[in-house]
Amino acid sequence: MATVTPALWRRWGPWALGLVGALAALGLQTQLYTGQVRTVATIFMFVALALSWNLIGGYTGYASFGQVVFFGLGGYFAAVTMTHLHWSFWVALPLAGLAAAAYAVVIGIPLLRLRGHYFAIATLGVAEGTREVVINLDGLTGGGGGITVPTVGAAAATKYLGNDGFYLVYLALAVLALLITGLVSRSKFGFAMRAIHQDEDAAAAVGINTTRTKVLTFALSGLLTGLVGATYAFQQVTIYPERLFDVEITVLMVVMVVIGGSGTVLGPIIGAVALQFLSEWLRQNYTTVHTLLLGIIIIIAVILLPQGLVNYLREARRNGDYSLLANVRRYRL
Amino acid sequence: MSAVPVLETRGLGIRFGGLKAVDDVSLSVPEGLTLGVIGPNGAGKSTFINLVTGHLKPTSGTVLVDGRDLTGVKPWVIAKARVARTFQIVKPFRGMTVRENVAVGVLYGPDGTGRMSTALKQADEILAEVGIFELGDRPPGELSVADARRLEFAKALALKPRLLLLDEVMAGLRPGEIEPSLQLIRDLKARGMTIIVVEHVMKAILAVSDEVLVLNAGQRLMLGPPREVLSDPQVIEAYLGHKYATRAAQLSEAASAALAAPTPTPTPTPNAVDIAEEEVGPDA
Ligand SMILES: Nc1ncnc2c1ncn2[C@@H]1O[C@H](COP(=O)(O)OP(=O)(O)OP(=O)(O)O)[C@@H](O)[C@H]1O
Ligand SMILES: [Mg+2]
Repeated sequence: MATVTPALWRRWGPWALGLVGALAALGLQTQLYTGQVRTVATIFMFVALALSWNLIGGYTGYASFGQVVFFGLGGYFAAVTMTHLHWSFWVALPLAGLAAAAYAVVIGIPLLRLRGHYFAIATLGVAEGTREVVINLDGLTGGGGGITVPTVGAAAATKYLGNDGFYLVYLALAVLALLITGLVSRSKFGFAMRAIHQDEDAAAAVGINTTRTKVLTFALSGLLTGLVGATYAFQQVTIYPERLFDVEITVLMVVMVVIGGSGTVLGPIIGAVALQFLSEWLRQNYTTVHTLLLGIIIIIAVILLPQGLVNYLREARRNGDYSLLANVRRYRL
Repeated sequence: MSAVPVLETRGLGIRFGGLKAVDDVSLSVPEGLTLGVIGPNGAGKSTFINLVTGHLKPTSGTVLVDGRDLTGVKPWVIAKARVARTFQIVKPFRGMTVRENVAVGVLYGPDGTGRMSTALKQADEILAEVGIFELGDRPPGELSVADARRLEFAKALALKPRLLLLDEVMAGLRPGEIEPSLQLIRDLKARGMTIIVVEHVMKAILAVSDEVLVLNAGQRLMLGPPREVLSDPQVIEAYLGHKYATRAAQLSEAASAALAAPTPTPTPTPNAVDIAEEEVGPDA
């Protein structure tokens, strides 16, 4: 791989990766047992989620701790329209994404004025509040008792897609998120996102409309998260507010991005795949203590590689120093 | 003689709680003028720049750029009006190369292009102009103090400004490093750029300014020809009064040196008189 220059990777990497990954995933599907198809589909789901969080949290530097709100909103939009209006999933899906994006604009305009922890906490609050609203609109959403999407018979506009169907939809969403990330990160817009992350005042001083850039990024991030949420809702058939607005989903997105390397194309993919594999493997081998072990491993990873795997490798190659100890020293406060 | 000044402030001011950091500053800067701005620490020099460039919203007064009221607009609106600034504490984009740092300004500046290759090429030209072309591929974290200040300069030039506000771009430079910066300012001046230079290095102020503004406790203490202003007892008092003894010494030394052996007269600017006390803003 010595001939792959950074410039070459930057130009073609995401496309090549998307193509090879998608083809491999299609080939893999034929080799898997039913249970494994579900597991791998979940990995794709988290790849898409991590990539979408990475746009606002990684590139632009606004850590959205309420990102699950777009997941929940997309999910409920799909479930409600498919149940009450008998929409086809293929109509509900894109519109759920757009609804989540619109919500991102509405909450983003006030919240993106806040920086750092304030933004993180405010988004968390909005997610919790939105869940309460969904619970209280029980005529529409079924409230805390949940809502069940019709999947068979005359009431079902779209027949249940089954394990193989959802595998393909999640794969498509992961590839979409990858391509959007690849395009955005190399574009003029990507420069604005990174400039805002690195110094918002300096970004504004060179002509970047920071408000517009942040709101658009949040909308794009919300769109992708909403698409995944809509797919998840259909896959689950019956959904509950507690699950669809579960803060744990946000935490997973954040951890995956941070471990893999935020603000990179590859990082969130590596983080999502690694964490899901590890979690699954621990679950099967250490049933009783698997979450404890997973937590410990995450803590160690974050201490040793605070900048994430991809950024660590990049810097190590630059400095010619792969020592983890030196890395910890470089990043300690 | 173009009648409309590039920058005009009328009664400009901002309060932070009880502190008037900038207080009722009226000023008119005609095209092509280089205005030196001096004053003790905390006088309000950086705050004045922040008010003009939209980084702070004034609590009183107006800012006119080319006669257009741009009071309190966002910094990117100011940037698109071809007003560029540097930051006293340098603000590089740390995750980008030096070249990319400058390219961002080319991409988003008033002549904004969407073509990355064009932006990078122009960035290289600007880096060459400020003398750090060979550092284009480096991350800004690896630059020396002097080069980091040059990068800050280059980022401002990326906007192809008509009005350039420099906040202590020579602070922390060694004597030998100051001359290239002065030469750069002279070159920009020769091209007709209007420049406001905030600086504690008096030699630099004398070398490039057509006029000097003294700020003290947020107020306009004095405005006039450099040598006259720098030898004014009130001005020396302002510095001494704030116990900036070293600076005062530096100040009078530089001023007397300048008086003893006059430096080559700065390029004569016919508009320089516009800025004289009597002619400041109609409602001053
Ligand atoms: N955002 C702010 N909030 C509160 N006070 C501020 C703020 N910005 C500046 N000040 C205060 O306003 C006064 C003027 O500060 P300013 O930075 O403009 O001074 P300066 O002339 O640039 O000084 P120096 O030569 O040290 O750079 C100072 O007393 C400073 O503490
Ligand atoms: Mg200052």
